[in-house]
Amino acid sequence: MQLNLKKNKASKQLLWIGIVSIVMFFGGLTSAYIVRKAEGGWLEFEMPVWFTISTVAIVVSSALLLFAAQNVKAGKSGTSLLLGTLLLGILFSFSQIQGWGDLVAQGVYLTGEGSNASGSFIYAITLMHLLHLIGGLIALTITTIKSKIGKYTKDNYLGIHLVSIYWHFLGLLWLYLFLFFTYS
Amino acid sequence: MSEHHKETFLTKYVFSLDHKMIAKQFLITGMFMGVIGMLMSILFRLQLSNPGESFAVLEFFLGEKWAPGGVLDPNIYLALVTMHGTILIFWVLTAGLTGTFANFLIPLQIGARDMASGFMNMLSYWFFFAATIVLLYSLFVESGPAAAGWTIYPPLSALPQAIPGSGLGQDLWLIAITLFVVSSLLGGLNYIVTILNMRTKGMTMSRLPLTIWALLIVAILGVLSFPVLLSCALLLIFDRSFGTSFYLSDIIINGEALHNTGGSPILFEHLFWFLGHPEVYIILLPALGIVSEVISVNSRKPIFGYKAMVGALILIAFLSFVVWGHHMFITGMDPFLGSVFTFTTLLIAIPSAVKVFNYLATLWRANIRFTPAMLFAIGFVSTFITGGLTGIILGDSALDINVHDTYFVVGHFHIVMGLSAIYGMLAGVYHWFPKMYGRMMNKKLGYFHFWVTFISAYGVFFPMHFLGLAGLPRRYYTNSAFPMFDGLSDINEVITFFAIIGGLVQLLFIFNFFYSIFKGTKATENPWGSNTLEWTTPVERIHGNWPGEIPTVERWAYDYSKPGADQDFVPQNVPLKEGETEH
Amino acid sequence: MMSILVGLIILLSVIVLVQILRVNELVSEVKDQDANEITDKDNNIQGILTFAVFGVLFLGFVLWQFKYWGVHILPPASSLHGATIDTLMNFTMGVILFVFFLTQPILAWFAYKYRGRKNTVAYFYPHNNKLEVIWTVVPTLVLTPLIIYGLNVWNDITGVDTTNSKIIELYAKQFNWTARYAGDDNTLGQANYKLVEGLNVLGVDMDDDSAQDDIVTREVHLVVNEPVLLKMRSQDVIHSAFLPHFRVQMNCVPGMTTQFGFTPTQTTAEMKEQEGEDFEFVLLCNKICGAAHYNMKMKFIVETQEEYNAWMASQETLKNTLTLN
Ligand code: HEM
Ligand SMILES: [Cu+2]
Ligand SMILES: [Cu+2]
Repeated sequence: MQLNLKKNKASKQLLWIGIVSIVMFFGGLTSAYIVRKAEGGWLEFEMPVWFTISTVAIVVSSALLLFAAQNVKAGKSGTSLLLGTLLLGILFSFSQIQGWGDLVAQGVYLTGEGSNASGSFIYAITLMHLLHLIGGLIALTITTIKSKIGKYTKDNYLGIHLVSIYWHFLGLLWLYLFLFFTYS
Repeated sequence: MSEHHKETFLTKYVFSLDHKMIAKQFLITGMFMGVIGMLMSILFRLQLSNPGESFAVLEFFLGEKWAPGGVLDPNIYLALVTMHGTILIFWVLTAGLTGTFANFLIPLQIGARDMASGFMNMLSYWFFFAATIVLLYSLFVESGPAAAGWTIYPPLSALPQAIPGSGLGQDLWLIAITLFVVSSLLGGLNYIVTILNMRTKGMTMSRLPLTIWALLIVAILGVLSFPVLLSCALLLIFDRSFGTSFYLSDIIINGEALHNTGGSPILFEHLFWFLGHPEVYIILLPALGIVSEVISVNSRKPIFGYKAMVGALILIAFLSFVVWGHHMFITGMDPFLGSVFTFTTLLIAIPSAVKVFNYLATLWRANIRFTPAMLFAIGFVSTFITGGLTGIILGDSALDINVHDTYFVVGHFHIVMGLSAIYGMLAGVYHWFPKMYGRMMNKKLGYFHFWVTFISAYGVFFPMHFLGLAGLPRRYYTNSAFPMFDGLSDINEVITFFAIIGGLVQLLFIFNFFYSIFKGTKATENPWGSNTLEWTTPVERIHGNWPGEIPTVERWAYDYSKPGADQDFVPQNVPLKEGETEH
Repeated sequence: MMSILVGLIILLSVIVLVQILRVNELVSEVKDQDANEITDKDNNIQGILTFAVFGVLFLGFVLWQFKYWGVHILPPASSLHGATIDTLMNFTMGVILFVFFLTQPILAWFAYKYRGRKNTVAYFYPHNNKLEVIWTVVPTLVLTPLIIYGLNVWNDITGVDTTNSKIIELYAKQFNWTARYAGDDNTLGQANYKLVEGLNVLGVDMDDDSAQDDIVTREVHLVVNEPVLLKMRSQDVIHSAFLPHFRVQMNCVPGMTTQFGFTPTQTTAEMKEQEGEDFEFVLLCNKICGAAHYNMKMKFIVETQEEYNAWMASQETLKNTLTLN
């Protein structure tokens, strides 16, 4: 038991420090964005509506996950809430891709003649976020299945805990990026 | 304990989860890459001292295509320089050094049975291994390996039309570095968490050996800076493969005008050096940690000013994040910004000076036992002083105007980072070899290795300062194109002579290493009379490190020659006597 | 054949080495010693060697290099600001050499003096706050003037007044330099990389009035004691315009213009007298830029106003070379 607690704590720390390095990664990208923007020749454009939908999806998914974790802690099943989170995560991914479509329709390209760094940055950064999110989706899927077959109990829900930390982080990261793109 | 599984060959030597085995994997891979990197430097040194002359070795290693008639091709010269720098900086002195000693020492010195996550640790090695394969493979592609310098500044690194190495070779370089960064992050996360969580009873932070402090700080530096390198490389990959314009603007190459506008190569430099400068401390700090340990043990004296040593490490690490601009003084940056970077850079000299003086104070009235490890540690102090001092010139923006990118820089960084870190690494290998392999390395070969290395290393790198002060730029295929450098050929010949001697003697070290693994005299449990916990483990390697209970820690690691003690060392697990105070 | 021979030689040397080591260890065994234990004799020899190599050989080598290789160091600067850099350099160099020749001998001496002996015990001395404060404060005190002095020189160089400087553009590409004088109006015509074509190697916009009198050259002539402002551009990759004799260096970055203003103070003729007939001021490339990076050069000639005028009179303006042809 003692050892288990220590291990749990270590796993959580591993995740947190991993998150710090992801923050540095996006910090690097967004500071590049700021530096490049300050140099001028910057194409301004509207953020696609789909990105707002993404935002709603990821916020709601985080809320569901919160309830799921609470259920498990209280000894109840969290499977359906986890499933809801997962589906909203998929909706988020879908809306990202739709958002890119909107951008292209607006004439904002990743590359080629007529592309501008502002557009390239949006694609590159959202793509990177999406890749991290796909990792989260895989973890969520595993957690959901494990929850379904009853692997988690009141005293043993480390998996859900870890997934929650990562997922909420991805949500916050998206909120940051969304606000950053809209207001910077 | 459940840790004692049955081991098969595969789980023992290949997919091992045991931190000690993973350490050896890192060490041997690092040594292998070290030989390759060194060989490259000797090949291009031949061209520098004897420009345009034909050498059979060049043709032997590079073939008819890259060394036609035994004369090095200019593009391949740049490719060799690039790969040499990449291999030594990342493969040898980052993975080879930190990977070896962090894995080996952290659990043993803090009193843990293994790393927090053995699996991640294994993964870290295998990512590194994959990176190695990709990098080595790039040596064999048609257009040659990456050739834009280890700093891969775009547009040169972005445009295959600009230099052949920027084709497939650069792609492979970027893939290799991405794998490498993943490996470093997996390792770094693990080191931090292990040190913070898995210390045995009594091992408070203020009792940690300095090696562990250094490795902890290095891991933190890595976790903060490597992701930024990744973001920097990512945008370069986009520019190279998808035609974006992050770093590219207004370019005509091979008569073709590219569509890219608005990109900024300077942006790349900022992102790159935000990693790049901490990286040089990622290389240096483990060596500082190892040397502190080796000097203290073999001086039979406590390290002088333990707290100041830790403080200096932290200060150096912190400052290393705010000095990156000193690589960019002449990019046309805002002069005020240049002033700020000069200021922060020169500040680093203060904690560095404190470290040097503390080492000297440790040696004062010591009872020095000259093991080969100790000699390398003393050599480290010498190169750290020499290289640190020339850094004061390079850090001064006004002076940098005329020495930037000259051989003065090459001399400076090889001495302060290359030699110092290599000395630290060799000191570590000689010192912990008995614990790694249960046998002693041959001392006479060790002495011979040290003296030839020390003399030839200064013989290679000190004269480079004079080349630089004569205005000779680095990354020149030959300096015979400018009459103003004609007088420098004797310096160049001296450098190449020592480079060959210095390179050859490393083979002797490698011989000693492998000979001793199999035939060395048997080591005892604690051959150096050392205080740290790793020397309380049995000679036989076991999974889980201690057969019984993990020892508890009762004192700091540096009670050497303590008055009132029975011996000239008191291991950390020996309780304080009645009335004895710590320190 | 060669490789077999080399392989054989390597194999043989390894075998010989192994044998030597075995014999060595056997001898120790017979004498009932541990071959790898560090004895007082070892400490003596290594201590003395450390003193001899660290303290005498190495420091002697450094002095020897200054004596015999010091002549290769660049001659004193041939520019106004360069002289201030030289003074700063000498000052800084003096400080670091002082510290170098202070600390290295101490290291060598301590290693020798305190070489170990059985039955002696080291002095237990874990810390001394006063000492540590001293060697934090002293380096700080030494560095402070260095920093202040250095920043002063830097500010003077980067803040130099260029309003009356003659403007010259340096244009870098793989693998040569081109220069463009701003002409009588001292204003460079606009340029755009899309306009590079045929004779218009710099992509100058000939619709721009100030471009008409611009003059493109393959070497740069400067008037002694007259300030110039170099403006750098690049066509392809990063290059760096390096004029070591003037203590001038600035990167040339595609997509942007950088600049460096300075005043030459010695003519080529004077330098030839001082340094030998072969002397020339040269512009080098100092940023890795491709295969012929080592061979990117352009001649700089510093001369009197009259000589300069005579040379200038023989040059064609862009209007003549581009529009009239
Ligand atoms: C036998 C020992 C070594 C020799 C003879 C040697 C020689 C050289 C030379 C002459 C250059 C400059 C080439 C040029 O700029 O044209 C160079 C570059 C470099 N070396 Fe070494 N070196 C040695 C060991 C090391 C070590 C131990 C390191 C570890 C830090 C190292 C790291 C580098 C780096 C980073 C570069 C710059 C590569 C670049 O310009 O992209 N070298 N080496
Ligand atoms: Cu740096
Ligand atoms: Cu160049």
